[in-house]
Amino acid sequence: MVEAFAVASGKGGTGKTTSTLALGMALAEDHDVTVVDADTGMANLLFHAGLADADVTLHDLLLADSDATVSDAVYERFGLKVFPCGTSLADFRAADPDRLRDVVADLAADTDVLLLDSPATLSSRSAVLPVVLADRAVLVVQPTIPALSDGLKVQEYAASYGTGVAGVIFNKVQDPAAVERVAEQSERYFEGPTLGTVPEADAVRAARRAGEPLLAHAPESDAAAAYRTIADAIDVQDTAADTVADRFRNAVVPEQP
Amino acid sequence: MSDLTFSRVVEDASEALSLALDRELSGHAVFTPQDALLLDGDGAGVVAFADGVPTHVVHTGTDRGGSAALADLAEPGPLRVECYAGEDGPVPRTDRTAVAPDTPADRLAGDDDLAARTRAAADVEDATENVDAVEAFLADEQKVEAIRERAREEAAERAEEWGFEDLAED
Repeated sequence: MVEAFAVASGKGGTGKTTSTLALGMALAEDHDVTVVDADTGMANLLFHAGLADADVTLHDLLLADSDATVSDAVYERFGLKVFPCGTSLADFRAADPDRLRDVVADLAADTDVLLLDSPATLSSRSAVLPVVLADRAVLVVQPTIPALSDGLKVQEYAASYGTGVAGVIFNKVQDPAAVERVAEQSERYFEGPTLGTVPEADAVRAARRAGEPLLAHAPESDAAAAYRTIADAIDVQDTAADTVADRFRNAVVPEQP
Repeated sequence: MSDLTFSRVVEDASEALSLALDRELSGHAVFTPQDALLLDGDGAGVVAFADGVPTHVVHTGTDRGGSAALADLAEPGPLRVECYAGEDGPVPRTDRTAVAPDTPADRLAGDDDLAARTRAAADVEDATENVDAVEAFLADEQKVEAIRERAREEAAERAEEWGFEDLAED
């Protein structure tokens, strides 16, 4: 049984990767969680998960002549299965997106929760694909007009392609009381609930510097507590693993931009 | 203290600047033309960013700053981009090194779209710091619904273009 979530924002800098790993760790208390860097053009997850030196990455599995296996590119870290992308442009170019579907379909068969750290753009079909493939999207926004607008855009794209909204995370919040009002007001536009607000925090920056997920680096911080509350607010649905795997396998194949 | 958040060879300066803009880099980025590597190194451009918007530039080879540094850096071809997050870094934040938000996109990349996006990002930072503006935006139901409607139309159009038609809902 598995549910696939796209962690998405439509806009860069909202703390999507931090949120993906924090949610992953919080959800891992009750579920078997796999985190995938689905932003194949802009590897980021590896820097957050202490995997900058990873020898084999998702990209290796996407190369036509690769003999790497899924087990070579999965890293057991922080109670999660982490699937990073590499930073080589040449590998990205040579990567065959057809293989991404199959790789992720394989992963879906062997986990409870699949978190897809999705590209912060809607400008190409490979960027939109993770949102298309997921059961539901978790929208990470900041309490600013452009971030909210982009979050709504992602929601409408998701809805158009049959993907639901699990809820909205307000991240990097400086004034929690004021943002409560913003969150409340925004709820009538979002198809999912406000899952929680995460304060702007030094702990988040320190964790990134250390190359560790927030919940590993500063588990007692307010921001970490906020992510645990958010994870509790997500009711993970049980979809038959083969249904999810089939959806990945049958999804349209994006061409390289 | 600065930390390396990203390092990659990209095709051109446009891609390098887009990277910093999309990730709202606050810190600095080192742009090393790959020709310079081959030719035994003519130096690199170091660009300071605030929320993805370039603010100051120096060139390590010529030690010039601002627009002059951009001229020193302007050559076509691939470059390595290393992004460092953090307030400090090797770029002095002075008048000598200052650049307008859209100047690097214009001079290094000749990319009008990117220049416009960068200007918009620079303005946006000023406009949306306060929660009152966000609340006013959310209170304008017509405006928000128009954004949603436009996104739905876009998604439907692109479904066809991208081959997602089977998934798109009417």
